[in-house]
Amino acid sequence: MPPHERDLPDEPPPFLGTWPRVYAAVVVYLALVIAACYAFTRIFA
Amino acid sequence: MRLLDWVVLVGSLASIIAYGLYRGRGSNTVDRYLLAGKSMPWYAMALSIMATQASAITFISTTGQSYVDGMRFVQFYFGLPLAMVVLCATAVPIFHRAEVYTAYEYLERRFDAKTRALASLIFLMQRGLSVGLTFYAPAIVLSVIFGWPDRLTTLIIGVTVVLYTVTGGIRTVTWTDVQQMLIIFCGLLVALITIIHMLPQQVSLLDAMRLAGSAGKLNAVNFHFDWNDRYNLWSGLIGGMFLALSYFGCDQSQVQRYLTGKSIAQSKLSLLFTAVAKIPMQFFILFIGAMVFVFYIFEPPPLVFQRIEYDRIQSGAARARYEPIAARYQDAFARRKQAALDIVAARHGGDPRGAEDAQGRYRQALEDVDTARNQGASLVAATGGEKGFKDTNYIFLSFVTRYLPAGIVGLVIAVILAATMSSSSGEINSLATVSVVDIYKRHVRKGATDHHYLTASRVATAFWGAYAVVFSGLGKNVGSLIEAVNFVGSLFYGSLLGVFVLAFFFKRVTGTGAFCGMLAGEAAVIVAWRSGIAYLWYNVIACVVVVATATAVSSFSPAASARPDITR
Repeated sequence: MPPHERDLPDEPPPFLGTWPRVYAAVVVYLALVIAACYAFTRIFA
Repeated sequence: MRLLDWVVLVGSLASIIAYGLYRGRGSNTVDRYLLAGKSMPWYAMALSIMATQASAITFISTTGQSYVDGMRFVQFYFGLPLAMVVLCATAVPIFHRAEVYTAYEYLERRFDAKTRALASLIFLMQRGLSVGLTFYAPAIVLSVIFGWPDRLTTLIIGVTVVLYTVTGGIRTVTWTDVQQMLIIFCGLLVALITIIHMLPQQVSLLDAMRLAGSAGKLNAVNFHFDWNDRYNLWSGLIGGMFLALSYFGCDQSQVQRYLTGKSIAQSKLSLLFTAVAKIPMQFFILFIGAMVFVFYIFEPPPLVFQRIEYDRIQSGAARARYEPIAARYQDAFARRKQAALDIVAARHGGDPRGAEDAQGRYRQALEDVDTARNQGASLVAATGGEKGFKDTNYIFLSFVTRYLPAGIVGLVIAVILAATMSSSSGEINSLATVSVVDIYKRHVRKGATDHHYLTASRVATAFWGAYAVVFSGLGKNVGSLIEAVNFVGSLFYGSLLGVFVLAFFFKRVTGTGAFCGMLAGEAAVIVAWRSGIAYLWYNVIACVVVVATATAVSSFSPAASARPDITR
């Protein structure tokens, strides 16, 4: 750690246990949103 | 505006200001004034981040954008969740641990003073231009409603915002944002329900969506790649991600929000909430614009939505040219309405051939309506109006004031004005923070008392408010305001993003390398702009050029060494 940075603890997230799991959930959510938008476009085109 | 509208409008705004000032009590040190004493919970930061982004422009211009161009603008936000994940894993913990007031302060710790100064100046230029546009949006509201001059209304709103921001600091800004977002959610929901309720009885929501879809207004996703196409999946995912990385990672107006967090985890949660909520929110706003389009299939829209210009071309010398265009417009409108009703009737009656025939007539009428509207806009420009006149920003408000019932008009106007106050107050607050912390305190007056810097922060806030009012007139000639704001951001964000990428991931890059990289990045953006490349790609191009140039320059100079800590 560089000398000008303080050692602040990174608390775990309140759900899914670890931050990488939360990040993965956000990416999966994005994929689902894009799929839903695509379906929306196709259905009403 | 009727009496009930005025009661709702004045009551909403007064409650926001009163609540903000109440929450902002005790902002009597620099730390409390600029960072709220690092005491904010994640939900307040999240709503504040979203509220700062959702200015009046979002409601005025995005709905108009959807009316004219459909919902494809939503793709612009597809890169945002990816950017938030990257920032949570990198920038948030780094900024928190560095205990900085501004993102650019970190650059001096990593590189040198000139890199910090250049990044600060780029931010001040970019955000200074944007805040003028933020102020201009509500001036449109009042010019449509009352016919007041834009400049006067900008001045009145600007003075109010400056007084309010100077007094309370970031704590006031954040808590008013929270309250404002709740009003926005309620206002949007009420507006959409009202629009759907006002459609003809035989037209269901599903019918309305089919009519909008047939007109190309529900085109939310386009997989076709084209460098010059502003909005497709790829420009949204890649270009949008870079823009969001720049905006949320390098723009002090956003960084300052999550620097107020109680902890790293609270700041991360605020960004991830935004990642999840932003696309549905923008989709919803664009959908309102599409439904306004459907409403105007059955109610005759004005040829030009800007009332002052519309009145002008109907009288005087322009009238002779206006009348034939208006006649063609009315004819096309009548054919479009009939075709739409025939489509609905054929579908309800199970007549696919009738529906197909009506579709053909509907599409032809759509083209004719658009042609007449374009001729109307050209007439405005050709008879003394603005060059390249567009009325995108007037569509939604023209609809609101003309058709929505008493009380709801006041609510929608309150949402728009509150959004302006909150967004611009956040922007002014961040401009003042960078001016004082990165320029004044670092280069002009070192080692003064906390009270001195608090006073300087208030003076800087007032200065940037005045600056925004003076330059708000730039918004008049830029077409869609939502695009203008993002375009201005894209001119500068790529270089800022590039220098933070260097700071976080390229340990061997020197201060001189980073400085030269930023200059090269800005030069690359100018070339891209002149080449006609869509603006979402500027951030990608500039970022890559900054990293490549800085790496090359640094390879010819001594390796970066750990820099000593600096005094804030």
